Amino acid sequence: MHLITALTIATFTTPEKIGVTPLATLWLLPLAASIAVVYKATKVKKVKAADFFKESVVLFASIVVFMIITALVLLSLTWIVT
Amino acid sequence: MASRSKDKNLVFLLVVGLSAWLIPGAGHLVLREKARAIIIFVTIALTFTIGLYVGSIGVVNPVEGKLAYAAQIMNSPMVTVLGRVTVNNHYSVFGKPYEIGQIYTSIAGLLNFLCIVNAVYTAHLQKARPLGSVKCT
Repeated sequence: MHLITALTIATFTTPEKIGVTPLATLWLLPLAASIAVVYKATKVKKVKAADFFKESVVLFASIVVFMIITALVLLSLTWIVT
Repeated sequence: MASRSKDKNLVFLLVVGLSAWLIPGAGHLVLREKARAIIIFVTIALTFTIGLYVGSIGVVNPVEGKLAYAAQIMNSPMVTVLGRVTVNNHYSVFGKPYEIGQIYTSIAGLLNFLCIVNAVYTAHLQKARPLGSVKCT
């Protein structure tokens, strides 16, 4: 029991190893999902599983698509400038 | 008589706001919005926990990361305890994990702030109109 507690605490006292790689941008996905879920939880009139799931997925997809478009615009801007 | 009712209303709004701050989703639970409260609690707690897991508790730092701390504290007043532990024990965290951890914990706090405002506003509408006629906005 003490070992499990110690291991659990240890995982929260040492940071994970995440490199500065293109893959690190995937960390935006869980964050976008939680933003979509909480925002929709405050916005929908009645929480029904199917509708709520659908609306959250639509918002999540919108956020991701917008981020991709922004990234592409910034990339093309740097390509033009440099 | 009217002022007493106004005071009661203000106390109710305060209770809703404070409970929403103390435990994410508790404000909606007070308003008998059980499903909404569970969704809010699970999502915000998970986002905050992921942030702490990635960057360690060192991301909650009231001395070196004041701006992020202001957002993190919106998760719950219990974050101050974490901040005190971090300051006293000097947890070193830097680079990408620090960045990701701070963003996750701060966004979790800001999302809870949105929920606090929503809960208080819904409570205000419930008091202004008869019960049952108000949906969350």
